[in-house]
Amino acid sequence: MRILVVDDDPINRFLLINMLEQQGYVDTYEAEDGRVAIELAKQIQPDLVLLDVVMPEIDGYEAAPILKRISGDIYLPIIFITALEDQAELARCLEVGGDDFVAKPFDKVILSAKIRAHSRTRILSQRAFEQNKQLSFYQSAVEREHRIVEHIFANALAIDDSLTSYIDYSLNPATTFNGDLFLMSTSPSGGMYFLLGDFTGHGLASSIGALPVSQGFNAMSKKGLSLMEMAETLNKTLLLLLPDDMFFAAIIVEVDASGQRIDVWNGGMPSMILQNADGEVIKHFYSRHMSLGILEPEDFEVTVERHQADYGDRLTCFSDGLVEIVNTEDVMLGDQGLENWLIAEPSISSKKIVEKAYEYLGSTESLDDLTIASYICQPLRGVNQDQSLSNIPLKLVNQLSADEIKISEPISVLVNVLANQLSMFSFHSAFFTAFSELYNNALDHGILRLDSSLKDTEDGFFDYFNHRMEKLEALQEASIVITTEFKPKERRLYFQIKDSGQGFDDSQLSDIQDMEQSYGRGIPLVKALCESLEYSEGGTKVNAVFAL
Amino acid sequence: MSLDRVFSSDGEQLTIFIGEKFDFSTVADFRTAYSKDTGKVTILIVDMQSTEYIDSSALGMLLNMQKAMKETVSSFKISFAKPQVLKVLQTARFGKKFDFI
Repeated sequence: MRILVVDDDPINRFLLINMLEQQGYVDTYEAEDGRVAIELAKQIQPDLVLLDVVMPEIDGYEAAPILKRISGDIYLPIIFITALEDQAELARCLEVGGDDFVAKPFDKVILSAKIRAHSRTRILSQRAFEQNKQLSFYQSAVEREHRIVEHIFANALAIDDSLTSYIDYSLNPATTFNGDLFLMSTSPSGGMYFLLGDFTGHGLASSIGALPVSQGFNAMSKKGLSLMEMAETLNKTLLLLLPDDMFFAAIIVEVDASGQRIDVWNGGMPSMILQNADGEVIKHFYSRHMSLGILEPEDFEVTVERHQADYGDRLTCFSDGLVEIVNTEDVMLGDQGLENWLIAEPSISSKKIVEKAYEYLGSTESLDDLTIASYICQPLRGVNQDQSLSNIPLKLVNQLSADEIKISEPISVLVNVLANQLSMFSFHSAFFTAFSELYNNALDHGILRLDSSLKDTEDGFFDYFNHRMEKLEALQEASIVITTEFKPKERRLYFQIKDSGQGFDDSQLSDIQDMEQSYGRGIPLVKALCESLEYSEGGTKVNAVFAL
Repeated sequence: MSLDRVFSSDGEQLTIFIGEKFDFSTVADFRTAYSKDTGKVTILIVDMQSTEYIDSSALGMLLNMQKAMKETVSSFKISFAKPQVLKVLQTARFGKKFDFI
């Protein structure tokens, strides 16, 4: 306890310091007037000041507020030691910032009791100050962390701009961080996906799962995966990441390029509403599954609901936060309430619905995140324009010997290379179908000399298969050369297969197919998938060109 | 690897789930899936929601199934085919024999 004694009378100072020493206060300083006291206080930061009133230079009244200021936010007790008796003068001691006064000549017992009392307050104040300092330190640390996370979220959850003209959505988190999540992404086939989900709880803890979900969703969308695979993968990821008491209700929707074919997987979300152009509700996509992140993969169900919509139909999905709002009369809006708003005003925007929700809330506060998104069925033009094909020409030659033909599945490997390395995801199915037709033709008919008419009956199909296995097993000398060339400037892929077989009569190939026949469908199919198809060298060589 | 299949509770509807690839390698499994214990089935659904690749032998197998089962099955459907797979089915005019749902 550091005590500063301020008095212009050296005897008084001596008496006071002497008394303080007797009480055990040995850390004492003295000053002969207000000016010296102020200078000294700046250096030594006293814990308590005993202050005379009448002094030359700066008197006690003037010095008290300055001393208080020097002490800053920590309480500095100032006890006036005064010979004054006038009540107004005594009152002024307290008005200028003094905390107490003692009359001269001072009573030792009273003064030391007052010093003890005020030093207790000083210690409390010091402690509070330290705690405050820590609190604000933590607060700014948390704010800083939040800013970093916010930044990451803003970038990770950025929404594909090419879709904002198709989907009207509104996200309204209850705190900075949203437990609700809305994502949309284009699919390689020109359609789109969107996901509206709701993590248990809200705020930072519940939004943390948004990162893996959005990364997974975007990656899977780019590959054009089915909702089934998406739901399965997200479930697996979240099961691994989230604590047991946390899960993710979500509705995932895929719309094809026509804008009409709607696939829905709904796990734990309120039903998605489908209205026709007149605003009548024609269908609900109810939740048919448990939320993501609960079930083990073997119990997880992936059944998807499919609907063929008409142009002008409106799909609306929302988080439970929106329908669980409660007005001042303690009545919940409910699914029906929201549906009534949609029926009353079929073209209402998402933003307007949220405004209505806040109106409904009135003075009560929403505790949950409010999210709504709607899509009006229309052809998805201009979606996915940025299919960024590689701009480097590439030529691949696969030279397969008899042994390699027996053990390998060259077409799967080749299609994977093209799809992954050259960003040709949207063509992978077409490539696979066409390439494997041509490869199987070369192998089955050119090299193995199998007869397709074997496939005429159901059992024949089997015989053909077995026959093929046997012949393949016995194969000694053969080669198939597959040449794939990508020409980025032409946006074309040239595909060629040359086999060592005896060829076949390609004049038999016709476009007309007998619907009942179980074979002979391959070549017409390839023709439909590529730009041109040509057999040469007696049927041992085939060239196909694909426009990308 | 055998194909997953699900019967409705009354046993009249059968859904067969095709894997990622539907080609010649599936011929035996597919035949087992539609022919084993399917006497009561009247609606047969081939679910292609996870199918990425299909070739002409798959088309042949579908037609074989249709021929073999048409005495007892009144409705053949292909469900959830992806756009690229659907294109192949449509190119082959499969809409005449199967309902796409």
